[in-house]
Amino acid sequence: MSGFTKIVESLHQSDDVPDLDREQPLLLIGNPHNRRTQGLQEARHRLGLKPAVVMPYAQLLQNWRHGRTMADAVDSTLSVPLIRIDAPGEDWEVERELLFLGARKDTLPLLDGMIAEAFTAEQVLALEQEWGRIYAPAQWFRGWKACLDRIGRETREIWPEVRFMNDPADIQLMFDKRACQQHLSSHGVHVPPALQSSQPIRCYTDLRTAMQYAGMNRVFVKLACGSGASGVVAYQINPRTGDEIAVTTLGMEQIRGKTIFFNEGRLRKYTRSEEIAALTNWLCAEGAQIERWMPKATLDQRAYDIRQLVAGGQAGHAIMRLSHTPITNLHLRNERMLPAEAGLDEQRMSLVRTTAQAAMSAFPNSWSAGIDVMLTSGSNPRAYVLDVNPFGDLLYRVEHHGLGTYEWEMELLRKEPIQHA
Amino acid sequence: MQEVKLVVSYDDYEDGIRMEKLIKDLAAKPEAGSLESLVIGDWGQAYESSPQEFMSTLIESAPSFPSLKKLFIGDMGFEECEVSWIIQTNLTPLLGAFPELTSFSIKGSSGLSLEPLQHAKLEELIIICGGLPKEVLSSITHAKLPELRKLELYLGVDNYGFDGSLEDVLPLLEKGLFPKLVYLGLKDSEIQDEIAKAAAEAPILDQLEVLDLSQGTLSDEGAEALLSSDKIKQLKHLDLSYHYMTDEMIRRWKQSGISVDVSDQQQSDEDDWRYPSLTE
Repeated sequence: MSGFTKIVESLHQSDDVPDLDREQPLLLIGNPHNRRTQGLQEARHRLGLKPAVVMPYAQLLQNWRHGRTMADAVDSTLSVPLIRIDAPGEDWEVERELLFLGARKDTLPLLDGMIAEAFTAEQVLALEQEWGRIYAPAQWFRGWKACLDRIGRETREIWPEVRFMNDPADIQLMFDKRACQQHLSSHGVHVPPALQSSQPIRCYTDLRTAMQYAGMNRVFVKLACGSGASGVVAYQINPRTGDEIAVTTLGMEQIRGKTIFFNEGRLRKYTRSEEIAALTNWLCAEGAQIERWMPKATLDQRAYDIRQLVAGGQAGHAIMRLSHTPITNLHLRNERMLPAEAGLDEQRMSLVRTTAQAAMSAFPNSWSAGIDVMLTSGSNPRAYVLDVNPFGDLLYRVEHHGLGTYEWEMELLRKEPIQHA
Repeated sequence: MQEVKLVVSYDDYEDGIRMEKLIKDLAAKPEAGSLESLVIGDWGQAYESSPQEFMSTLIESAPSFPSLKKLFIGDMGFEECEVSWIIQTNLTPLLGAFPELTSFSIKGSSGLSLEPLQHAKLEELIIICGGLPKEVLSSITHAKLPELRKLELYLGVDNYGFDGSLEDVLPLLEKGLFPKLVYLGLKDSEIQDEIAKAAAEAPILDQLEVLDLSQGTLSDEGAEALLSSDKIKQLKHLDLSYHYMTDEMIRRWKQSGISVDVSDQQQSDEDDWRYPSLTE
């Protein structure tokens, strides 16, 4: 069911040696000073586990850029570690290195006839950060995938027996909303139907045509590699009047004749076709998942979905995210609530848990993810998986069996070390 | 209060289920006889199809709901349909079919009409929308609703169907239009200041307990008129929540001794533009 083989003893421990002495080291690839790394280290400390060995992304990526490999950055005496690849975000140096890694050697930034934003390797290194700006997401994603590939390759060269909490290839798949939704669907997990079209949807005009042809008047257009609410547009056309509305946190600005896109902390509503065209043209060029906007269940006139953490095949912490807008995963202002506080009944909670577990079992080489599940309204709800977040365990102020998310995960790992099928 | 809400969910609609069926199924149940409140939610693609599709079913089923006191047509959220996109129709035949009704709520005003508006027992009429057409306002000012105690109208903005002006609202501030009226809500308006100034000394205040001017673009201008009115002081409650008043004006309200809700202060946007609450 979970895709894991339960084992009593690890391959790298023998029965007669106490666990603590031969505890499998945890190698954490992340940004050392952020709340994720700190949260995990604190959890390990509280459970009496040795701290994870942290390998900073910035250092790893710079090593690569200077022709070195991972072997130059790790302690070679480290016994075969369990590796946790964490989120690379919220660090400008790392962002820039990933853009560098994603820079194309060829000069043509053409992708299926669409022109995505592109920086050359030299340009990337000279980039100064503008707050909120979304830089060349397709290029960033190429860099991120290359980074994951290389982590997988080089760690296996150092430690052929290495285990990952989440497999690098799975992380890529979870990150790509287009591929991930197809993957889930092919494993029998319910996801909102994708907008079908005989031709690739390359621009606003294609989008409108496809929506009309499919009779799908409300869609979400999501940046394929975006996190959270970044690059998500709730778009609808009134088939009777032709009115259109796009609700999003994306902002646009003209700088030297070029439109740049950035994340705003608040929701914006676009109703002019030119603006909606600019937004959707950009999303289509950078790579977009386009799916039916299914009405979510509501609580006191607020739509909600649920972030359900699954680790080791078990459903743990769950948080409801409520919003007066179509976008529930907007961090700044939306309310969070525990399902119990909201009075969500066991039938609904159980539906959420089993749906999230089913989604997780489509990734047998991965151990933990935050699954976003929505329920439909009405007395007989159905559940749909909206997103699978490989770094979805950063959840505050929520306990499961009296433990925070990282504590719970570390406790599970201690009891049952990872052994992928 | 036994209440049932009927919703055709997205999946159900795709599966061919329609509101008529849900109404018929409910009417056939034994508890229909004791049902006091019926809420009709999303009927599926409400931006294209109106309640006309299930109205005759609801009217024919009326005898199965002898205890029904409250009826709500169109209780749906933005996840189901933008409020200004909800298509309504002439709902007056429903009032004829349910002579025992005391409360009638409507959400959405596109295509809405209530002509002629009359009911011997209705105590509460609520219309929630992005913009109320002046034709509907006119039907209300010419209505025969002798028992009406609460009237709550979202006036909204011209973009979403409010094609009237203060002139169309003024008749509602006359005394005696509805002799038993104690709650008047003229809310969610882009001309909230004008309405506040007109309401401040309006004859109808003599009979009201609650004046609700919430959810609109009320600023210090309209608030000043209200605050200096002796008639306003006689109210049991004044609802001004969601507003564009300054901190200083809020402080004055709090010191006024009047029971007033001044919560949910709004800031004008960059272009100094003010939006009522329900404009999506």
